[in-house]
Amino acid sequence: MRRKQNFWDEIQFIDRRWLYLVLGVFLVLGLNLKCAVSNVCAEEGKDFYATVMKVPEGGTVLIQSDWTTSTRGESQGHLESLLRILMTKRVKFLIYTFADPQAPQVWRNVIRVINEERESQNLPVYRPWVDYIDVGYFANAEGSSIAVRNDIRRFFSRQVKDDKGINRSIFESPVMTKINKVGDADLFVIVTASATLDVAVQRLSDRVNMAAMVTGVIGPTALTFYQSGQLKGVAIGLKGVYDTEYMMANGLNTPGPDGKIVVEYDRSEAPVPKITEGKTLARGASYIVALHFALGLVIFAVVVGNIAMFASRAANKGGKRR
Amino acid sequence: MQYLDTGWFGVAFVALLVFFLLFNIIRADRGGKQLYIRRIPGLNAIDDAIGRATEMGRPVFMVPGIGDLNAISVQAINVFAHVSKLASQFGTPIRICIANAAVYTVAQEVIRDVYQKQGMIDRYDVDSVRFVSDRQFAFAAGVSGLLIREKAAATFLLGEFFAESLIFAETANSLGAIQVAGSTQTSQTPFFVAACDYVLLGDEFYAASAYLTRQPILVGSLVGQDWCKILVAGFVLVGALANSAERTQVATVTRAGYLDTISPEQIASEAEALGVTESIYRARVASAQVEVPVKEERASNPKLNKKARNETSFFRLFSPMISKESLTIVRPQKPTVEPEGEGE
Amino acid sequence: MMPWLAQADPRLNMWALPPYSPQLWIAVIATVLVGILLVFGLTFLPTNLRRPIVTVMTFLAGSFYVGLWLWPQPVAKVETDLPRDMVESVGFWFQDAQQALANVANILTAFLLLLGMYSLLRIHLGRISKKHPDRAFSVVLIISMFLIVIFGYADWRMRTFLDPQNLLELKTNWTIWNHGRDILFDGLLMQMDAAMFSLIAFFILSAAFRAFRIRSVEATVMMVSALILIISLMPLVIYQSEMLIKAWFPNPSPGSFNPENYKIGTIAGWVKSNLQTPSLRAVEFGVGLGALAMGLRLWLGLEKGGVSV
Repeated sequence: MRRKQNFWDEIQFIDRRWLYLVLGVFLVLGLNLKCAVSNVCAEEGKDFYATVMKVPEGGTVLIQSDWTTSTRGESQGHLESLLRILMTKRVKFLIYTFADPQAPQVWRNVIRVINEERESQNLPVYRPWVDYIDVGYFANAEGSSIAVRNDIRRFFSRQVKDDKGINRSIFESPVMTKINKVGDADLFVIVTASATLDVAVQRLSDRVNMAAMVTGVIGPTALTFYQSGQLKGVAIGLKGVYDTEYMMANGLNTPGPDGKIVVEYDRSEAPVPKITEGKTLARGASYIVALHFALGLVIFAVVVGNIAMFASRAANKGGKRR
Repeated sequence: MQYLDTGWFGVAFVALLVFFLLFNIIRADRGGKQLYIRRIPGLNAIDDAIGRATEMGRPVFMVPGIGDLNAISVQAINVFAHVSKLASQFGTPIRICIANAAVYTVAQEVIRDVYQKQGMIDRYDVDSVRFVSDRQFAFAAGVSGLLIREKAAATFLLGEFFAESLIFAETANSLGAIQVAGSTQTSQTPFFVAACDYVLLGDEFYAASAYLTRQPILVGSLVGQDWCKILVAGFVLVGALANSAERTQVATVTRAGYLDTISPEQIASEAEALGVTESIYRARVASAQVEVPVKEERASNPKLNKKARNETSFFRLFSPMISKESLTIVRPQKPTVEPEGEGE
Repeated sequence: MMPWLAQADPRLNMWALPPYSPQLWIAVIATVLVGILLVFGLTFLPTNLRRPIVTVMTFLAGSFYVGLWLWPQPVAKVETDLPRDMVESVGFWFQDAQQALANVANILTAFLLLLGMYSLLRIHLGRISKKHPDRAFSVVLIISMFLIVIFGYADWRMRTFLDPQNLLELKTNWTIWNHGRDILFDGLLMQMDAAMFSLIAFFILSAAFRAFRIRSVEATVMMVSALILIISLMPLVIYQSEMLIKAWFPNPSPGSFNPENYKIGTIAGWVKSNLQTPSLRAVEFGVGLGALAMGLRLWLGLEKGGVSV
């Protein structure tokens, strides 16, 4: 016979739909509350920012953008902050994906939105062919990465429309003229939500400087590559988005308005400057309160679950065992 | 003259691993001695799970992840073949939901063969192996819907899982299904640990077919894997000690883009000496990893002149550099072909 | 005329013939004929030959990649180079063939997708005809599948072939096909994808609530480390805790008991770099070796389990 459930039993085995309801309410509240939150940036995130900022003006960065709308909560913020940094520094980029045919549409939207934003701020917009090249989707991450390693010029022999609408080889564009091998790019950044991170690191990290922006779930995997030096820096999850934005707003080893350094960086004594044009605090800043609410709720739920477990054990001690 | 990027040590190391595997496979195949494999609770639970599904008259669900047709999905199908064999004996309905067309064709063949070999082909339902969708979340939605509508009694989630892992595991958990899960994606294993009854960790997944069938070849290969692990662990240990000792030493050579270390005039004269244009010469040596002496400013700075991570002997054993001489290769050039116009 | 034939690299190799040249036409026609003959031939084979054929094909396909990896790679090769000797010829051949082989794999996958669609259609049309109680779902599936194929193809064709001036970049120039694709793809599919993914947030909460209990030593260790890592993701909390530590210990003494070492961020960093990363790496070594062994068994036809039956 099943014994009668007391209050603590009910808490302990609460219908999960109640939890979902509370989380839903918390997230809606959090997303509507916007306030500046002080931050302590992660070390790997600081290295990421410093690495991207090291790319010289007019240099070329390869961006492998392997995410779709499903992980936009994290990855869209990643790509946005990366593009904002590159655009401020007038760095050219080649963007492509090995993961998903849906990915190109998503980054096209991101580029369009940032361009509109820059236009409204009277900043130069990024034009295809002249400032960036969009080559779209290639299937088979493993095979494609090996091919890029062997011969980037042959692999990307795709033609795109130039600024006059004529189809030309991408290597004739100002973005790619100096790229003969993958290592000629100043940096390779992979923005990913999937296992293409492993493939890219295994196949390319010994040929080109590599950094990554990854979702929270594959953060641990990215950390192993960061520790081994294969990735020069990593921004992980939503916290990584906020870290990057926070560093864009405050720089590294750069004194704030009160003369105190806001974000300290041990790896180098030289300051890494902050971003002076366009938006800095954006998606990360508007999601960070919701993240606090959600994580706070997880902690609360775990604590309550444990209290309920012990209370129900104490209440049933000596009572009939089922 | 060295003209090939051999990287011989990495190749030799893997060749040694392959030798360990093959040696043990042959040894086990010839020896006939029963080798011991430690208990893996998740695999022992297969019988219970099928038994329970049979009692309840509800189906057993199997998902081989959403990866391509590769070693991982093949291994998952091997385990599912074993599960299907047991299920076919009890007449328990099975459902194998697949996200990749190539995996789907293979799985269909294998499962039909299993029923045929058991003499139970009349119990085989052609729709038990089904292609759901190759879009990740459409697949997740489709499988979750099937789990709920058909009230799964047991689920086997083995293979390459990504974000959909927790969606399946929690949905099945809410139905009270017995769950055995294992993913080679370490990032997904925590989700399975939180939501499933039994989890195969890491290479336990690859040990599954040996454990279940005790075929000498599979067991031998498992022993070979253990030898390999010991070798790798030994290298990690020796490498850690050697690197720790070496990184206190002063670096004299480093790896750098060769072009960064020489002047533009020197590049032009070297290209001329080889009889190629400067751009071809640049393309040839661009980013080539060549040993060069450390730069002046680094050599004079005591803080900077210790060996970096990629300057130790162990690192260079696995990632060799090509010599400067190899840049002076002169190859005959292809005849230039004018791109032809359209149509013949 | 539409560019039907692949635009070959002007620097040719045996895998890329000049576009529209007679050699390329001959190669295309010969390949199609040989392919049809092969498929026909295979259907007449007795079933007991299936296994050897699969084994041989697997071995040949695998041998290419083993060869590619084992054969010394030519140093500093540029695309205009010709090989100087036998060793280099083979090395060049491997590198040139690799892209062609990757294409073969992609084309095969595309054909197999047809089989997948056949499976879907068979199951769902069967359900509709048998008046299965859940047939409404099947109807939705089939209608949406055809809609997205039709609109997707029409949109792709217009953008690729009929719009040399990029007029379709502007929404005002769109036709019904472009709007249709936009609604189906960006409006529905992408949003539903995101909705499915966001369910994970809810599932994480319920799984954490159930799993993180002080039941055993292992479960407790898991719970404590999870809580530390969760807190380390909350910028406000770690910032405030660091401020507190700074206020309580304004002049920290260096050494083991330096309060700096007990900041939440530092502890979380320590857990990540000294517990999580090494154990992940160890698991990855095991998984990698497992994959090596499995790959070797498949390549050599030693796998006598289900797959090569």
